[in-house]
Amino acid sequence: MNLFAALFSHYRRHPLQLAALALMILVATTLWSGVRQLTEQARTSLSQSEQVIAGRQQVVRVDGARLTVSDFVTLRRVGLCVMPWLEVPRQGNVGLVIGVDPLAAACFGGEGGTFGNSQIRLEGEPFVDVSEAARLAEELPDAEPPPSLALIAAGNVTADALPAGYRLADFSRGPDTGELGESFLLNLDALGILALLITALLLRSVYRLGIVQRRDSFALLHRFGVPPAQVDRRLVVELLVLSVLCVLPGLWLGSLLAGLLGQGFGRSLEGLFDAPLYEAPGQWLAPAFTMMAVVLLACLADFLMPGGHRVVARRGKGKLAGGFLLVGLVLALLSPSLLWVFVAVAIVFTGAGLLTPALINRLAERAAGASADPLSRWRYRELAVMARQLALPVVALQFTLAMVLAIQALVTTFEDTFDRWLGQRLEAELYVAVPEGRSGEAAARWLASQPELQTSGAWHRVIRGRGSVSVSGSPPTPVDLFGLSPVSSLVTNWDLLAADDDPWATLTRGEAVLVNEQLARRLELGVGDRIAVEVAGEQLNLPIAGVYADYGRPAGEILISGTLLPEQFQPVFESFSITPGALPLAELIRGLEAAWQVSDITVRDNEEIRSLATGVFDQTFLLTRAMTVLTLALAALALLIMGWVFFTGRNWYFRLLAAWGLSRREVAAQLTRLSVGLTGSVALLALPLGIWLTWVLVHRINPLAFGWSLPMAVYPGFWVELIGLSLLIGLGIALLMGRQLRAGAALPVSASSLTGGER
Amino acid sequence: MRQPVLEARNLSKTFASGAERIAVLSGLSVSLDAGQSLALMGRSGSGKSTLLNLFCGLERPDNGVITLLGERFDYREAGVAGQQEKRWARLRRRRIGVMFQEANLMPALSLLDNVRLRARLAEQPLEQCRTWLERLGIGELAERYPDQVSGGQRQRAALAMVFAMNPDLILADEPTGSLDRRTAEEVTAELFRLQAETGVALVLATHDPELAEQCQVTLDLAHGAPAGPAP
Repeated sequence: MNLFAALFSHYRRHPLQLAALALMILVATTLWSGVRQLTEQARTSLSQSEQVIAGRQQVVRVDGARLTVSDFVTLRRVGLCVMPWLEVPRQGNVGLVIGVDPLAAACFGGEGGTFGNSQIRLEGEPFVDVSEAARLAEELPDAEPPPSLALIAAGNVTADALPAGYRLADFSRGPDTGELGESFLLNLDALGILALLITALLLRSVYRLGIVQRRDSFALLHRFGVPPAQVDRRLVVELLVLSVLCVLPGLWLGSLLAGLLGQGFGRSLEGLFDAPLYEAPGQWLAPAFTMMAVVLLACLADFLMPGGHRVVARRGKGKLAGGFLLVGLVLALLSPSLLWVFVAVAIVFTGAGLLTPALINRLAERAAGASADPLSRWRYRELAVMARQLALPVVALQFTLAMVLAIQALVTTFEDTFDRWLGQRLEAELYVAVPEGRSGEAAARWLASQPELQTSGAWHRVIRGRGSVSVSGSPPTPVDLFGLSPVSSLVTNWDLLAADDDPWATLTRGEAVLVNEQLARRLELGVGDRIAVEVAGEQLNLPIAGVYADYGRPAGEILISGTLLPEQFQPVFESFSITPGALPLAELIRGLEAAWQVSDITVRDNEEIRSLATGVFDQTFLLTRAMTVLTLALAALALLIMGWVFFTGRNWYFRLLAAWGLSRREVAAQLTRLSVGLTGSVALLALPLGIWLTWVLVHRINPLAFGWSLPMAVYPGFWVELIGLSLLIGLGIALLMGRQLRAGAALPVSASSLTGGER
Repeated sequence: MRQPVLEARNLSKTFASGAERIAVLSGLSVSLDAGQSLALMGRSGSGKSTLLNLFCGLERPDNGVITLLGERFDYREAGVAGQQEKRWARLRRRRIGVMFQEANLMPALSLLDNVRLRARLAEQPLEQCRTWLERLGIGELAERYPDQVSGGQRQRAALAMVFAMNPDLILADEPTGSLDRRTAEEVTAELFRLQAETGVALVLATHDPELAEQCQVTLDLAHGAPAGPAP
């Protein structure tokens, strides 16, 4: 038998331990690489979207009319280098296809960059040939947002060179979302790293336990003349082989996971940042090396810093934990950027990780001291030993429970808030988009003349376009602008985050503006502040009457009375929200068709839109939920295995109880009380951490990452569920150990032995 | 007629070794009166520990009858073992003191708490526990933990635990096997002294002939028949 075989014989005796190690590496790799792949795709997509249009200018018509092919022809005939850019929403409104003309782009070649002819590869989305995009646009149903044509100008096109009736304007695909896209990705990175850290912690605990159990074998090999360094080297090789064998299938599973969650994630990205999720080639080498480094670092940290951490572990752990907690809490409260909030979370978690096992140990010791019953005293002391021995998986379970609790609270709060918000936004029964090439004016006049609508129904017209706002001479910030007329009862019940006495009345009179939360936060605006709104070349100076919630895109939005919109304002989109009341639907449709002189209009039931939006919402959080559930399952499994291994070491003492006359059932009850006591304590200690993390997510991370915040809510029902789950894990440990107790006689261990005899 | 504390008739026990079954005990009979001491002799693997485990119900014989402190356990019929579990547990808890070669103490408890735990399970007064430690010469170590005292001191604490429960029968499995000769002699002397004082019956598994000689009866498992003064 060679040295490898001798070392590996441990795993032949403990195959479950090997399986646990392999499973943890596999699941950790799957989770992390899956999220990483999605994040990388998102990062590529966002960066591609930004790079393509960065610094570009477009040619627009002075009269604000939509551009057509004849405009393109006119401009090219006078020798200007312009390229058509046709954005077409895909069927189902998931993602965009951008039609460009490579021939027209040839004149951009000298400038290099994305528009250089060689740079545009029409190999699929997002860029396709403009003729293909035009074909897709024709297939779109009426209700989809209409495709928009822009003419991108080359750098040498100057305002002077433009023919009459045209002007240059900055080209952007939507209001600037600032650094929020990067923050969004940082959020995902943090989630992936947190899952990776938890799994690394679990991996380390299982590996360390194996090392402790193998210590006698190492000592024996040393006595046989094998230098310890040689054993260490073999252990590193053993771990390397194991990680290679598990990391590679883990990466493959990760790409499957990314594929599985990709659709929902794509919808989120699209909904939030107007950036579709482009297919990106999966990477293998870098994630494989990173994961192997994490495995080696997690398992072999003791070799790298021998004894160092033990000094900390034994001395002043409480003070150190307290210091970490204090610094982390203050930092989380005051940090100006998302990155620092994550650093604060890491510091608080480190403090909690140091504190938890010590706290359970201290409480158990105190309870043992206060207990007059020797059997209770023994149980508390065993609990203290468990808390110390299982410190790593205990902390990992606590972190995971806290994470699950916080994310669940966030998602549930968001669900409730979003549902209420959506209900208010979709208060009207019907939604009608103004057909392409028609104005809403005639329809508005017809609707205003219907007595049934005045008495039993309600309606309003929404004119959507672009504008910009500035505060006391600051540079203008592009915003989405919504003109509302009339301000009907369908909007006046919106919950406003802040408002003056009668915001809707002042809005109706055209004396004020309402802004969304994102814009208010970005420009630090409040009720009563005056802003300069530029609409189609005209300036409006209006006070803010209210701030409304807008869960979704981080883009800035303002709501003004439609009567304030100047004649030359060119809407991007127009629609009507109508509750017909006593007006029959058929009559409504006939009336609108007559007003627009079209034969067929699409009337959408808002309930359908609502269920569609709810579906998108569920998809959005699928990734988060999947991550947390998988991590929780992993943490539970790890504690289960570790608990089992721990009890294997203490097996003899439970047999001693049987020798002292406790029946099998009584011994099993002692086991259950112990394991359930431990997992229950972990769950209880996870609660404050989870509540704090919820606060951080709601009040710090969300506003920094998305531009909006949610009301802080806690869900005690879910706490009970999580505590129940922890108790189930405890019961699982007791059950496994109970089976082991029945399996056969264990060898008595020496009281001074390192494995199983600790006090 | 005086009833024996322990009476075993035709005990048989086999263990599985792969497909094969190895007989450890075959038709063994033995009897022990109150206050008597019995030494179980034999080489390693001869079945000494197994027999002790049978005498306290931690293992079940394949066949035979054990009568212990008036309770009869008949293994000649199949399917009776489950019903006997509770009766055995009750006897071990209150009337049988079991002592192993080592690891008789809970490592998370002090010596005194170990003695108190054993006394509490046997429903004996806890006030006597410290006295038992003192009688065994380790009173000053009462608050120490098992890993803070020597092997001999741990075995003395184990003795204190056994006597604190005021048993009718002590089953000791190589109680001095892990100790040096001098300490072993001291611990053994204490055991026999207290056994004589309390009148408890003792079954001692050992491969030390000198220790076996101190018992009134010796059962050499190599030969299967008790030797020594008639019970």
